[in-house]
Amino acid sequence: MRAYFARRLRLLAPIFIEPVEGLPPADPEGVVEFNREFLRAGTPAFRLLYYAMILVLQALCLATRGKSLYSLPPDEADRFIQSLYSHRVSALGAVPAVLGTVIYMSHYNRDDLQALLGFDVAAMREEAAQRGVQR
Amino acid sequence: MIVKPGELTGNIRREADVAIIGSGAGGGPIAKELAEAGYSVVVLEEGGYFTREDFDFRPGQAFMRLYRDAGQTATVGLPVIIVPQGKTVGGTTTVNSGTCLRVPRHVLKRWHLECGLRDLEEDELNLLYAALEEYLFVKRADPEVVGENNLLFLRTAEKLGYSGGFLPRNAKDCEGYGVCAYGCPSGAKQSVDVSFIPDAVRAGADVYTRCRVERIVVRGGKVTGVRGHFLDPRSGRRTFRMGVDAPVVVLAGGAFQTPSLLLHNRICLSSGRVGENLSIHPCGATMALMDEPLGNPRGIPQSAYVDDFAPEGIMLEGVTLPPAIMAMTLPWGGRRHAEAMCMYSRIGTFGSMISEHDSSGRVVAGPSARQPLAFYNMGRGDVERLKRSVLLMAEVWFAAGARRVYTPLEGFKELAGARDLGRLARTRLRRAGIYGLSAYHPMGTCAMGGDPHNSVVRSSGETWEVENLFICDASVLPTSLGVNPQLTIMALAVRAAGFIDDRLSEGSIDTRNASRLDRLRNRLRREKESTIVQ
Ligand SMILES: Cc1cc2nc3c(=O)[nH]c(=O)nc-3n(C[C@H](O)[C@H](O)[C@H](O)COP(=O)(O)OP(=O)(O)OC[C@H]3O[C@@H](n4cnc5c(N)ncnc54)[C@H](O)[C@@H]3O)c2cc1C
Ligand code: SF4
Repeated sequence: MRAYFARRLRLLAPIFIEPVEGLPPADPEGVVEFNREFLRAGTPAFRLLYYAMILVLQALCLATRGKSLYSLPPDEADRFIQSLYSHRVSALGAVPAVLGTVIYMSHYNRDDLQALLGFDVAAMREEAAQRGVQR
Repeated sequence: MIVKPGELTGNIRREADVAIIGSGAGGGPIAKELAEAGYSVVVLEEGGYFTREDFDFRPGQAFMRLYRDAGQTATVGLPVIIVPQGKTVGGTTTVNSGTCLRVPRHVLKRWHLECGLRDLEEDELNLLYAALEEYLFVKRADPEVVGENNLLFLRTAEKLGYSGGFLPRNAKDCEGYGVCAYGCPSGAKQSVDVSFIPDAVRAGADVYTRCRVERIVVRGGKVTGVRGHFLDPRSGRRTFRMGVDAPVVVLAGGAFQTPSLLLHNRICLSSGRVGENLSIHPCGATMALMDEPLGNPRGIPQSAYVDDFAPEGIMLEGVTLPPAIMAMTLPWGGRRHAEAMCMYSRIGTFGSMISEHDSSGRVVAGPSARQPLAFYNMGRGDVERLKRSVLLMAEVWFAAGARRVYTPLEGFKELAGARDLGRLARTRLRRAGIYGLSAYHPMGTCAMGGDPHNSVVRSSGETWEVENLFICDASVLPTSLGVNPQLTIMALAVRAAGFIDDRLSEGSIDTRNASRLDRLRNRLRREKESTIVQ
């Protein structure tokens, strides 16, 4: 992943992953690292689409808010993202949706977070390791 | 022996009786059958080899390791549909949900009447199904471990008068960890990587992993072997060369890769049917916000079904989503998304599967054989069926006490109750307004049939055009199946193994041979007796 896109993703992570009480905040480094691996393992078409969406998101923000997405106050950035998600034109909704899929997957893939949501992965991993079903 | 790329020191060239491309639902059973019959069998699998110790409950890692293109394979057309496929020893069965269903009678009838496949006899198929069900420990999902999500949906559907039940699955001592699609961490799911392949290897088969077949060698109308390369696990770049000279080759790469390989090799093309006739069973999903936690995703993800609408081509089947997958699926971002994820344990999920009536699709050669392009457009009728399935699921969820139901339909992402259902029922959906659809059963792209002009393989699985080249995977299913396909793919593969045995031992195949059924019965009986003795 080019440094430019990595920088943008680092900034996008906390916009997509809003802090809420009881859950850990975004880990931008972790998000970038996961994205790097995930895009490398995937199709060139998705990779291209993904990078294009980063650029389109910024362009849409400049066009509609007159400011860079990364310089908007958190509340306004959130409103902007929401407005796209619920936009009547589904192509516009696809812009954050495509970016969101990988950002959210990387964030909620974390063991600590899954445990907080009631899916205690570490405990189940241990349990499963001991069970080992034989044919 | 299972050979991993790290164990190689140079190019490999060898001989075998049978070379099998792919180790999934089609390739695995053939490898076992023929290895146990005493033939030398070589399996070439593009994906890596993983065991239950590697399956770590993390969907993200599973996508990257076990799925082709990290699960990003999608169709081109309206709407865009994600079609994830496995790429690992065991193929897609390693990441599937374990549901095992037989071909519905009306579908088999259609194959007899419309596809010229009368010699796919019901009796014979039933024998094969029964033997496979026993081998794979198939039984109905245990209500104790199906999980609250599936139970609640099923019980409510039944109260509404809809028929349903628990799905038959190939799992032994399943504990309902809820992560079948990311590799079963206890080894309970009897996917091909823990069943057919180990048995094939015990019987002497060799499985070469991270080995992609690129060329099928044909001389004088007969197949004589395959050529390919090993792939570096990290970069995916080619390393050593692999060649197998074999009198019989079985192509079992799945419904996208198999036609792609034929198209790139320019073989079997005269019927014009290679890559055509793609069906995928498009899937819709609903999420429902409940008042009480449902214990997600613990429980067997695909354990309950509602089949009241199967005659219309709609099957409702359970699904549960670990946090990472639900997070990807929710139709919002930012704060709203985070707030919804905080309610994760209260969000129920259920899915639907559409058996196609008027959609159309095809696989064409892409820029490389590895990346074919799949075009697929949903027909009007199928879009209506999808809408109806969403309405039915929403109806059940509201009857179960849901506060909100979330759908993949533009303009109806969030339903609040009966009024919204009415509005949705009256709306004619735009195909472009359906987002985030997925499909898990690509099939039909090298259809089996009785006429060489409109099918690619005969009922034995052998291609019409190239002698001794057999295709045994989802691509041979001639029509949309209407139910989850793995058991049927396996049954046809075991059936084809009998024909390959005939060919190798006697030199000929007669699919109408009356004594074949008796021989099959005897073979299955012998296998059963030898298992009991062991
Ligand atoms: C998430 C998910 C859940 C599912 N759940 C169910 C279920 O519950 N029940 C059910 O019946 N079905 C289910 N399915 C579908 C089912 O698993 C597939 O239909 C079935 O496995 C297809 O069998 P196949 O032999 O055609 O291909 P696969 O099982 O996909 O095997 C093909 C193998 O060939 C390899 N290959 C391809 N090309 C090459 C090449 N050129 N060289 C070397 N190797 C190659 C691939 O890497 C792959 O491992 C599910 C699918 C998914 C994705
Ligand atoms: S529910 Fe869990 S234990 Fe059961 S088959 Fe799936 S992953 Fe394995």
